[in-house]
Amino acid sequence: MKESSRIEGARRRARAAKVWLGALTALIFGVAFVGAKTHAPGHSKGKAQPLGAPSSFEHAVRRSALQSGQIAPPAQPPVASSTTS
Amino acid sequence: MGCDVAVAGGETATVAAVLGHWEAAFSLFRPESELSRVNRSPARVVAVSSLFAHALQVALDMAAETEGLVDPTLCGRWSEVAVSGWMLSRSPELALDLNGVVKALAVDEAAATVDGPGFVSVGGDLAVRGPVDVALPAGGAICVLAGGLATSGTASRGAHLVDTATGNASNSCWKQVTASGASCLDADVAAKAGFLLGECGPDWLEARGIPGRFVGEAGEIVENRAWHNATAAVPACT
Repeated sequence: MKESSRIEGARRRARAAKVWLGALTALIFGVAFVGAKTHAPGHSKGKAQPLGAPSSFEHAVRRSALQSGQIAPPAQPPVASSTTS
Repeated sequence: MGCDVAVAGGETATVAAVLGHWEAAFSLFRPESELSRVNRSPARVVAVSSLFAHALQVALDMAAETEGLVDPTLCGRWSEVAVSGWMLSRSPELALDLNGVVKALAVDEAAATVDGPGFVSVGGDLAVRGPVDVALPAGGAICVLAGGLATSGTASRGAHLVDTATGNASNSCWKQVTASGASCLDADVAAKAGFLLGECGPDWLEARGIPGRFVGEAGEIVENRAWHNATAAVPACT
């Protein structure tokens, strides 16, 4: 009777040790995974950026889209008219 | 296009064919036009012609340039429209109106068919090949040496320019705004933006080096510095 209670106690300790060992393994794996994801070369750390020109550059180029024409004082009577469109 | 057309130095039939081609594609009053077909389509992505894609891309560029003042959606949603190659993507309920750029594009293309000195004018939107003396709204005249000249306002067609911020007809303090551009397109977009901006119009054009002439409701004339300098300092054309 005393012998079987010692065996049961040993089994309980073994089960508890297995649970702790599994939890510790999962924790170490998780820490290593996150560490690799954020620090190891080759792992994406953020959203992919397009390779095209940045929008600020495109905006600056577009700013010059409207160009002035060339006008001067009249030399002769008008042959055309710019009325409201 | 429902406007007076004047041609000098070019073949009238050729110019008429160019203008007719643009009107057939972009008229809002023709059910068979490509623009009407696109606006009727319930699909989010629609295949369009290269001409349509080009005009729409120009319209979107000008919307960006004017920060939405000249907007092909007329409701401030131009950034939701995308064109890639021949594919147009937009919400099906979003109707397009390319009249803000199409007439000027047609005039520029028509003027390109003029071989020697001359001009093409459609409803007062003008593109020149060589110096042309042009009468201005409310009196006066200038010589357009190169590029285009356009006038926008309410004198001829009433309050047809839409303030995209409100969706209603603009109540600008100006009656007519005339602008000079490197092309008729540039001049037309600049004139529309100058008109829609109201009191800020002269400075907005000035900041871009674009000559602008503004006629107020009472007939008073305001010229920005670029217009004044160009018409005062440059020798008269021959």
